[in-house]
Amino acid sequence: MCDIIWCKKCNTVNYLDPYCFWNWEGKVNCAECGEVYYIHMIQGHMYKGPEPRPGEKPDIHPLYADKPYDGYTNYPPGVEGKTRPYNCTPRHIYLGRADQRKFSIRNRPMRAWPQPPSAGIAGSQGFYWDIKKLSPEVWEEYMEKIKKGEVRDW
Amino acid sequence: MADPREVRLEDLPGPKSREELEDMKAPYEEYCRKLFDVGNEFVKPMALEGVRWLSCTMYIFTPHAVANLGELGAEVIKIEFPRVADPMRHTSPFNECYFYPLHDTRPKSGTGIGVLNANVNEYYISLDYHRKEAQEVLYKLVKMSDGLTECYRPGTFDRWKQSYRYLQEINPRFIYVWGGGFGYGPKAFGGSYDILGQAHAGLASITGFHEDFGGHPVKHSNWCIDWYSGTQITIAILAALYWRRKTGLGTMIEFSQVQAATRCCGYTVPLYGRFGIVRQRWGNWDTQLCVHGIIICGKSDYPDEKNPQLRNEARYVMVSAFNDPDFKELCSVIKRNDLYEKYKTHKERVRAEAQVEIYRELEKWAADKSRSEVVRILTEAGLLAAPVKNDKEVYESEHFRQRGTVRWMDDPMLGDVIAQSTYSTGLFSETPRRKFWDFRPVGADNIKIYHELLGYPISTIQEWYEKGII
Amino acid sequence: MAREPQEIEIKSRADTLKRRPWPVTPPPSREEVAKVYAKRKAEEFGAWCEENLWFQNVFEKPEALQGVKVLEVGLWRIGHKFCASLLSELGAEVIKIEPPEGDPMRQLTPFGREEYMLKDKYSGEPCGLEFIHEMRNKYSITLNLDTPEGQKLYKGLAARVDIIIEEYPPGYMDERGIGYRQLSKLNPKLIYCWIGELGQWGPEKDRVSKFGQWMLDPFGQAACSFIHNTGYPEDFMPRGSGGDPTRSGVWLADYVAGEQAAVNILAALYYREEKSHRGQFIEVTGAEALMDILDFDISWYGFNESIKARSGSWDPNLNQYAWNPCKDGYMMIGGQTDRLWYRIGMCIEKDLPVFGRLIHEDPFLKEVAARNALQALIKTYTLTSMWLRDINRVEAEEKLLEYEIAAGPLLYIDEVCEFPHFKYRPWVYTIEDEHYGTLLYATSTNSFQMRTPARVKWLGRPLGKDNGEIYQKYLGIGPRMQEVLKEKGVL
Repeated sequence: MCDIIWCKKCNTVNYLDPYCFWNWEGKVNCAECGEVYYIHMIQGHMYKGPEPRPGEKPDIHPLYADKPYDGYTNYPPGVEGKTRPYNCTPRHIYLGRADQRKFSIRNRPMRAWPQPPSAGIAGSQGFYWDIKKLSPEVWEEYMEKIKKGEVRDW
Repeated sequence: MADPREVRLEDLPGPKSREELEDMKAPYEEYCRKLFDVGNEFVKPMALEGVRWLSCTMYIFTPHAVANLGELGAEVIKIEFPRVADPMRHTSPFNECYFYPLHDTRPKSGTGIGVLNANVNEYYISLDYHRKEAQEVLYKLVKMSDGLTECYRPGTFDRWKQSYRYLQEINPRFIYVWGGGFGYGPKAFGGSYDILGQAHAGLASITGFHEDFGGHPVKHSNWCIDWYSGTQITIAILAALYWRRKTGLGTMIEFSQVQAATRCCGYTVPLYGRFGIVRQRWGNWDTQLCVHGIIICGKSDYPDEKNPQLRNEARYVMVSAFNDPDFKELCSVIKRNDLYEKYKTHKERVRAEAQVEIYRELEKWAADKSRSEVVRILTEAGLLAAPVKNDKEVYESEHFRQRGTVRWMDDPMLGDVIAQSTYSTGLFSETPRRKFWDFRPVGADNIKIYHELLGYPISTIQEWYEKGII
Repeated sequence: MAREPQEIEIKSRADTLKRRPWPVTPPPSREEVAKVYAKRKAEEFGAWCEENLWFQNVFEKPEALQGVKVLEVGLWRIGHKFCASLLSELGAEVIKIEPPEGDPMRQLTPFGREEYMLKDKYSGEPCGLEFIHEMRNKYSITLNLDTPEGQKLYKGLAARVDIIIEEYPPGYMDERGIGYRQLSKLNPKLIYCWIGELGQWGPEKDRVSKFGQWMLDPFGQAACSFIHNTGYPEDFMPRGSGGDPTRSGVWLADYVAGEQAAVNILAALYYREEKSHRGQFIEVTGAEALMDILDFDISWYGFNESIKARSGSWDPNLNQYAWNPCKDGYMMIGGQTDRLWYRIGMCIEKDLPVFGRLIHEDPFLKEVAARNALQALIKTYTLTSMWLRDINRVEAEEKLLEYEIAAGPLLYIDEVCEFPHFKYRPWVYTIEDEHYGTLLYATSTNSFQMRTPARVKWLGRPLGKDNGEIYQKYLGIGPRMQEVLKEKGVL
């Protein structure tokens, strides 16, 4: 197997992403059990390895790993000591799911959370967001923000 | 014929009124500001008012071809498949950003911001072309519209009897646009995306770091070749509208996006044709000018920020000093006058080996400096240098704010949202583009179009909706 | 167009560097292509398209912008050149005004190699390919705008044209009394478009260095976040080896500004003809026009302070939508909706069963939107390249096209020029130029139209070649007077 290391000890699949590992030589750890494997990859092919090198230190972690026999529980990027961090992200937090917000960065309401169905005939919609009626609690929060001076022009 | 002895004010040279006098005297920058009058676009007319266009489009490429028309004032009707809708609606960076305009069929899934800016100022209806009722509706719309843009696989609209072969019979003034990857020819049925255009057309092969530096071909950020190609369709449409004024005849335009990406490769094609040289990548430098490239500085401008894009990435500077005196000054700033002595002429310093040496020395000099220090030092020396800006810095740029090209708007569906497009396509003194609204829910204007424009009774529309025809 | 294939014998390394004829092999025949249409039951439609849109018929049809007169006045950059090309390809009469010493772009050539410049057959004057390639259907005249006589002549031309496309530093024309402010008085119908990198007004407007050097692209790319957002992350490869923000290989901001300028100009022309009978002033910049097409990036910052990060050849918004390395290069595969995504999977699974096992069975990857998560991209593309490393680009393309997947090899320019589809249409084509010999060029994207297709009538023009015709025709200045003006340094 290569491009992935399917760790026989713990049945974890460690993914070796193509751009980092396409031509690469060194030692990679298994994200689950920590077993260290030596690999030498040339043009995406495993020229040597994966050879277990117990007790040695890994040069690099995989970026992602999961366990297919365990309901695909996984190690996302950046689990300390397990997977490599992926630093080039748009924020310091990484969600991977909808960031449901009610206010834009200048604290004015934006419709970024699920709304109650309220379309007209055949799905038609007007051109007005009646926030006071549809989401009174957000309207109140907005009024609070205005009072506190948190609502900005930019 | 005017009496030649009479002296008329309008015949004399110079300004004709106090206002004009002031205009003529004003410093140029002030004159421009006043003329473009940013922020007051809505008091001016729109260039394409009265043009009606049908948009049977998906993704970014063909939608943008039509959005350009919408921004210029055309009335655009976007037709989506009921429920399925434009696949772009599911697209969101790392699955994180969705808007939730009211939508009864899928209230929980939201609309990804991938679709933002691509279909502005449009009316949204839903229609399933497979159904027999759809044809009558579409033909009616064609009769009262100026044109249509579609992006289905070639032959699909023909099979549904709504290709130009059929529509020109209904409306000879009709302008029909097909936009896709390939067009007629052996790969006619090949699908296409922005990224395919970049890869297939040669653009990717010349973008990115050279293989010898360990680099791979780089995809241009975003779907910018989609957008870029779409704009060229708009050019074809506008030219066809202009021609139609003379002849009253429409036309069919077949546009291949992959070709558009080859079109912008500059000397690449003629160089190959004449000399057999296959152009390669040259990273952040320029093949034809030196110094004219991007260097990395030792320190970020925001070492303490949480966001990695600020903390790690605010380190790059665009430096340009290719003319002899500029290069001389640059060498003196970095205290390497010997470099200037070595590469006195542009011809010498633009050679590959020279570039490698010069940029390496520049980066050495910048290794203990932050990005803003480098920009400041070079600017103070009278040279050209600019930071490689990120989205935050673009948002905070006073320049773009004053020019109105980054601005907030209160969208009737989305709420508070930044408009980075539309206004940034250009400033107009007479007919500025503007943005009324961004995307709307699928079928949001079904009543407006089917009932108010085409005259179908509400009950029929309701019935169609229940049957999934719309 | 069809040519006999020419054999090239490769006996040494030097032979591989020999120029190959174009095309090396002839394009597919129309009969072969008709079979492709027939396979999808579209033979009638395919034949109709070829009959009505056929490239080789462009000269049998009229030109959309016939009679529209344009002045192109600018140096160094591509923006104004591309804008004017788009109009001239559609039939506008474009006069390019250059200073007597010529547009400096005429001197540009990759890595300073003069052997890759073309010499005018008559004068021996060299000219760079980047310049020649954009010198489409344009007349070249010389005029020194720094002299009072030159300015007077320029006004004379401006009074006669519909459109001026200008690209000089901010206020340059205005200072000389020949900007929009003055010319619009002479010619109220004039549509005047200024193109630049950052703007002719505002706190960060276009600058020149203290020695007068212009700001050129990629300053525009740098200012709008395009460069910051392009390139591979450091997580994939080290900085300095490609793990950096990366500029486009071409002057992309200029191209984008040029095409938007053409849109704006044509809209203004339509408005002028239909309604106002007046011209207007338009300003387009590379930084802003490119920002217009950066999807939602700035809006995304306004949403939750996200700053778009570069992600190499993987798209952070779509899965699959990337190119990855394969046996002989890079292969692009795209398909996001369930229908397409599973088809890609089926195709790969045939050769690589573990793909099906690990991808299709993972519950996390079943939902279309969730597949855009970073971890899903890593997983999908790692396994996809596991398949790709064993096959080359053509094989991968064939296999994927069988499943109707949008897929294509990443091509270098020699491969682009030989790609059967591109040769068939054609997207690169040769033209015999009177001065520069036979040239291969990228054809106009608007050439495939039923009634008024765009076309390239000539390519490249020596400096001032059309002085005689244009000055005689537009201003009634004959050859003797032109000599006097030339001597004075005006022409």
